[in-house]
Amino acid sequence: MKSVTLFFLLIISSSCFAGDDPGTLIRNLNKKFKLINDYTAQVYMQFDIPGVKMKSMNGKVFYKQPDKFRIKAKGIFFLPKQNPMQQVSSMLLDTMSYTSVISGYETIQGKNCAIVNIIPLKNTSELILGKFWIDLQNPLVYRSQITTRNSGTLDTESFYSDRSAYALPEKVIIHVEVNKIKVPKMMAADLNKKSKPKSDPNIKEKGTIILSFSNYKINTKLDDEVFIKED
Amino acid sequence: MNTAICVREISKSFGNFSAVNQLSFTVQQGDIYGFLGPNGSGKSTTLRMMMGLIKPSAGDIEIFGTSLSLHRHSIMRKVGCIIEKPDFYGYMSALDNLKLFARANLLTYSPKQYQDLFHLVGLTGREKDKVKTYSHGMKQRLGLAQALIHDPELIILDEPNTGLDPQGIIDLRNLILQLNQERGKTILFSSHILTEVQQLCNRMVVINKGKSVVEGKVEELLSTESMHVRIELSQLDKAIESINQSTYRPKLVNIDDHLFRFKMSKQEIPELLRFFMDQQIDILRVDYRNELEEYFLKITTDQS
Amino acid sequence: MKEFKAILINELIKTMKRPRTYIGFGVITFVCLMLQAAFYKDGKEILSFVTQQFENVFNIEGRVLNGNLICFILLQTLIVQMPLLVALVTGDAVSGETASGTIRFLLTRPASRTKIVLAKWLAGLFYTLLLLIILGIMALVVSRFIFGEGDLMSLNSEGLTVISGDDINWRWGYAFLIAFLSLGVVASLGTFLSCILDNSITPIVSVMAIIIIFTIIGMFDLPSFDVIKPFLFTTHMISWKNLFEDPIPFQDILISIVVLAFHILLFISLSIFYFNRKDIQS
Repeated sequence: MKSVTLFFLLIISSSCFAGDDPGTLIRNLNKKFKLINDYTAQVYMQFDIPGVKMKSMNGKVFYKQPDKFRIKAKGIFFLPKQNPMQQVSSMLLDTMSYTSVISGYETIQGKNCAIVNIIPLKNTSELILGKFWIDLQNPLVYRSQITTRNSGTLDTESFYSDRSAYALPEKVIIHVEVNKIKVPKMMAADLNKKSKPKSDPNIKEKGTIILSFSNYKINTKLDDEVFIKED
Repeated sequence: MNTAICVREISKSFGNFSAVNQLSFTVQQGDIYGFLGPNGSGKSTTLRMMMGLIKPSAGDIEIFGTSLSLHRHSIMRKVGCIIEKPDFYGYMSALDNLKLFARANLLTYSPKQYQDLFHLVGLTGREKDKVKTYSHGMKQRLGLAQALIHDPELIILDEPNTGLDPQGIIDLRNLILQLNQERGKTILFSSHILTEVQQLCNRMVVINKGKSVVEGKVEELLSTESMHVRIELSQLDKAIESINQSTYRPKLVNIDDHLFRFKMSKQEIPELLRFFMDQQIDILRVDYRNELEEYFLKITTDQS
Repeated sequence: MKEFKAILINELIKTMKRPRTYIGFGVITFVCLMLQAAFYKDGKEILSFVTQQFENVFNIEGRVLNGNLICFILLQTLIVQMPLLVALVTGDAVSGETASGTIRFLLTRPASRTKIVLAKWLAGLFYTLLLLIILGIMALVVSRFIFGEGDLMSLNSEGLTVISGDDINWRWGYAFLIAFLSLGVVASLGTFLSCILDNSITPIVSVMAIIIIFTIIGMFDLPSFDVIKPFLFTTHMISWKNLFEDPIPFQDILISIVVLAFHILLFISLSIFYFNRKDIQS
């Protein structure tokens, strides 16, 4: 049923926005992605996740085509399971696995963006729908919404500056929806705390992770070993 | 002679039970003072009050002329005691126990001094044994060592012979006499056995049901001028007739079956026995006691 | 003062020579080693119990299972058990000597009863401190040696707080101080009950009974309990955990310190009061 709906959506949307070709937009964007074989950068991470209090921290990003990505930092931090930094390029570069349509236009950060929907060709794919807001002038993804089977929807906003030629953002804001963590009082052993009124555990709350990048070093022939986690 | 202990009308009640009732007595310095009473007469309660373990409900205790309730701290420096059974820290050696007591008295003993003390109480060679391995008699000796550790002027011993073997009792008696005669210690010796007090003490008080019954010099209290004599005779009628016709009639107190009780001086007893023999009356048994022995026997029999 | 020092030394010697003192040390060491072994083997599974609520959405990066987390778990677990160990020694301090009769020798020395009970109380606190030092060594130093250092992901009823590993040592210092204050209340309560009761078992059992009852009251969010909860010392015994929140609720910690200190003062004052009036009949 879902695939039928998507099929009609595809037909309707392709007939509505026949002026721009999503394939061309993606191809132009992929050209930028293909300029990069690997990169490293400094990252400053800020977290605002419901039920989790965490200080901002610095780290180092490592990326290698097609889908190796890692942030190394001293300490504990949370990253979305579907990491947009890793997924956007690898998803769009795999042009044989999806079909794309433009479902509308929207101005984001003053840029006139086409909303490109990516629909996987295989029903078994983890991805259900990917929406990318791509600048029509200078193809860069300013916003993405990736809906997966297991991890729900991940909404990401990207900001660019001097590394836009490589489609590398200066800042990424990741919006996540999570069930607020609830630890039973007895387990938390908080005898000195009064319990707050219980909230509906099914209501999701919004959280944000902001990653600010600097000091990009591109194509330095990164060793695969940096992606192997120690533990 | 100075007063070592002056107990003035002390009383102690536990709920409705009156353990000590207006008890008074005085111990002079240099005395070996017997504190005699049957079990449960209030001896230990009195001694506990004298050591500050129990607060009197009424009355006052002075030791070396100082009020115990006001100056317990300084008084305790001059007093050593064993109250009831000697209990120690069983998980520690005898030497370590004594070191605790020495430190509590702000004393720094040399190993030689400890050795001398163990020798004095007859525990040489057992210093390093854990106290839990000690017999009651050994604990009693160790108790004496702790009582003497700070060289007190007054030593209060609450039934110290309990648990000692016959040789231990003799050793203790000799030690008490030595401490009194050679070192001039005043000793308060409590017991429920009269002969123990008789053999050791120069003055004594007898208490019963928390009250003083009699107090004085032992030699006076144990006078032989008025002895209680019991003679068991075989021929009852003949014996009564002979006594009624003799000069012993006024000295006869009562007759209970074949047992005749007389009151007379110790010197008269042989003459009385000769009288019955002359009258050809068979004597089955004779015993005699002084007034105090008689009285003490009566109160202990009443207790039991 | 010299006299007090002497009887305090005596009390410390007695504490250190008593076999039961080492039960506490042994229990702490054993429990720590046992839990460390369990976490070493199954730590990730145990952790997933907490992190499963996030696992669909997030990857938790970094070394979560580290010495700081193990110490946090151990302290949270043992703060419930340690009062028993403290009561085992302090609940017996006076009553044990009363029952065995050694109190007679103690009280026929030239020292006031106030000094004696204070010396016993301080010896109890010293033992409590030793317990905490052993816990600190076992739970923090040994855990860090086995599991390494790292950020602490602390768990409370509000959720998770991640405390930076660089910002944690001072928190542990103060946490152990507050834990000491908490156990100091138990030591003082043990001393107090030990002063008013004449056998060694009843004070120990009574201390535990009080802690269990108060803890149960603290666990349930009932309006009638809410009124008395702030006054129960058990409510504040866990306040060391506040140091691992962000921001740290200093006001709450201060209130807990005041309440705990008040209980210590109350119990030790009552101990002195009753002990001075106690007739030694044993």
